Amino acid sequence: MTDSTSKQPPLLVLGMSLGAVGVVLSYRLVDHERFWANWVYWFVLLFTIAIGNLFIVALQHLVSARWSIPIRRVPERLATLLLPVAPIGLLGLLAAHVLYPGTRPEAAHNKILAGKAVWLSLPWFSVRTAVVLAVSLGSLWLLVRGSIRQDQTKDPQFSARAKRFAPGFMILFAFSITAVAFDWIAGLVPEWYSDIFGVYLFAGGFLAALSSTVLALLFLKQQQRLTEVRNDHLYSLGTFIFAFTVFWSYIAFAQYMLMWYANLPDEVNWYHDRLAGGWHAVTVALAIIHFVVPFFALSTRDSKSRESTLRRVAIIMLCAHMLDVYWLIFPSISHRPLFSWPEVSFALLFISGSVLWVRRTLAWGQDLPVGDPFLREGLEFHL
Amino acid sequence: MAESSTTVIGVYDSPDALIQSIGVLRSKQLGQLEAYSPYPIHGIDEALGHRRSPIGAMVMVMGIVGALTALGAEYWISAIDYPLVTGGKAPTSWEAFVPIMFEVTVLFATFTAGLGMLFLMNRLPFFGHPVLNSKSIAKITRDKYAIAIESAADSKEELDEQVAEAALRDAGATTIEIVREPKPSPFLTSTFVLRALGGIAVSCLVSGVLMYWVIKLFPVLPPMSHMLVQPRVDPQQSSSFFGDGRSMRMPVPGTVARGFMPSFVASQEQAASLVNPLARTREVLEVGKQKFTERCAVCHGALATGIGSLTAAYGGKPANLQAQQFRDYPDGKIYWVIVNGKNAMPSQAADLTVDQRWSIVHYIRALQRAQHAMDRDVQ
Repeated sequence: MTDSTSKQPPLLVLGMSLGAVGVVLSYRLVDHERFWANWVYWFVLLFTIAIGNLFIVALQHLVSARWSIPIRRVPERLATLLLPVAPIGLLGLLAAHVLYPGTRPEAAHNKILAGKAVWLSLPWFSVRTAVVLAVSLGSLWLLVRGSIRQDQTKDPQFSARAKRFAPGFMILFAFSITAVAFDWIAGLVPEWYSDIFGVYLFAGGFLAALSSTVLALLFLKQQQRLTEVRNDHLYSLGTFIFAFTVFWSYIAFAQYMLMWYANLPDEVNWYHDRLAGGWHAVTVALAIIHFVVPFFALSTRDSKSRESTLRRVAIIMLCAHMLDVYWLIFPSISHRPLFSWPEVSFALLFISGSVLWVRRTLAWGQDLPVGDPFLREGLEFHL
Repeated sequence: MAESSTTVIGVYDSPDALIQSIGVLRSKQLGQLEAYSPYPIHGIDEALGHRRSPIGAMVMVMGIVGALTALGAEYWISAIDYPLVTGGKAPTSWEAFVPIMFEVTVLFATFTAGLGMLFLMNRLPFFGHPVLNSKSIAKITRDKYAIAIESAADSKEELDEQVAEAALRDAGATTIEIVREPKPSPFLTSTFVLRALGGIAVSCLVSGVLMYWVIKLFPVLPPMSHMLVQPRVDPQQSSSFFGDGRSMRMPVPGTVARGFMPSFVASQEQAASLVNPLARTREVLEVGKQKFTERCAVCHGALATGIGSLTAAYGGKPANLQAQQFRDYPDGKIYWVIVNGKNAMPSQAADLTVDQRWSIVHYIRALQRAQHAMDRDVQ
């Protein structure tokens, strides 16, 4: 068991090194706007997946869910992605003047931005980012480190503490994901404004986090670990994914339709950019792989617990979230879809890096949270 | 046929015990098995050997039918039957169709699920069952699980109580109850009651239609039209009051409507000598502004520069009243154009009284002055 995870697969290391070389080259060769857009893309993507996993953990504590206790260690380990993501985000602040018009001094003279120029300025931007990352890491320390320690101590007090902390986390989480959505994505076009944008990013991020959990869970099951997890647990996860594809589509369409109807110039331009030129095809593709495909793939009862279907849908949903964040960020800097060696290098570096990190974390703690006093109930869970 | 039917009920403490004993009991083929539980238990359908419920597929089909119904109805209404541009959106905007498609999809799907559950799964109409009169039913609806064994519907054989009881006890039932009930009356069956209800509904319908036609064909009781029948002549109606059948008299030849005194000036040149009879007061200018905005501004523009909101759409070239030529016009010539029209401009005489026309002339003068203000105007 330890052999398969402690040994680092050479393919991933190779991919990561190739990607790193490409990233360094792209910093020298392509324009900085494109380089930093890629950087911010990977920060937002990995952050939403990581904190989405932490949200799954906190949600289970909040509602005292018993069915999910046997699978809880999986999102806990995935949430530790926040550790490498935090420095990526802090480095991303270097992109501020290149990408974010609100941080430039001209913002004070822009009629629309003048009122919020202070809020958008680099110092406040940095403070918000630092607070969001600190809050996320603090929550990670409380929820995940405590849970892994519980394996040894078998201290039931941790479960009670986590349950008390969970409601607070929900509030902090709501502010954090909204801050990231507004600052890092909407901030690219600060004239644009959407109240529901934080919820939109949450819907996609939570879906991607669920999919990553399912993928990691199925990987473990393939290695004959976590054999205690049965179809009843998988079915619940599948239902969760099914429900949230609909939720994401509902939020995405509601946001689009209101702006389309009102047709206000400062709102509708954002969509205009995304429906013009090559971006139109990307928008249609996003609707298909983020809604149509998973909706029909998971419609029947059996498909929600069939491992092959779940694995395929989870991979599709992760790709859909990647496309979603791409669709959110890149049309703001380019009128046609950008996809070439710099994007591939970034993808190689960050995907291989994340997979390597997750493989390492698969050794952290027991596969089952053996210290949880309610684990038995979770194992006996029947639909 | 026996006088009474027997049902043997075995009560269990957990759903697992229930499902396990279903397997055991089915293999013994005692009779018809039915399971009771306070909430749905996954896997019980398979244990009882029921085939997979068709409701899921029905809901999917009806949901798609609902979506297509809404799409078709909306497309036909707003793109084919009565295309109307609303809020600057094209009649075929799919975005506007989506919320209603969603609603109708949900409507069709939930009705299919709800009615399908009641009629296919719960076999309504259902007028009672021995299990509902048992002592165990209180426990079954709270926290216990039960299996009831009856003689199969198609078999003539009676259920052997002792065998069934023993089988249930072997299968782990904690309590066993035997319910004997008289066979349901052959008269008051669900089919009969359904037919009776259907008969009542049909006779209501028939008598309603008959009553409608009776009232229609024998107009002894005119149906609810009293408010419409009044001793009054409506527009375009004939009347027998006057010999010529008209409902009103024609005006005396030479009658002129108040405020519409015709102008007898033959040409625009002759009109130059007309003098604006109205004083240049605030009230007159207000009237002039209102009427100018209503009648003139769409083509000549709010500032009378000849660029109005309709100009681009129709490719016309309305006069720019700010041009030197029109600033030099005497009042009378402008008045003449309002009355008679000029080039593509039609006469406005039917819609503006004499005073309103002269008020517009005043207002045009004010607009011209405002666009060509002189230094002394601001002193």
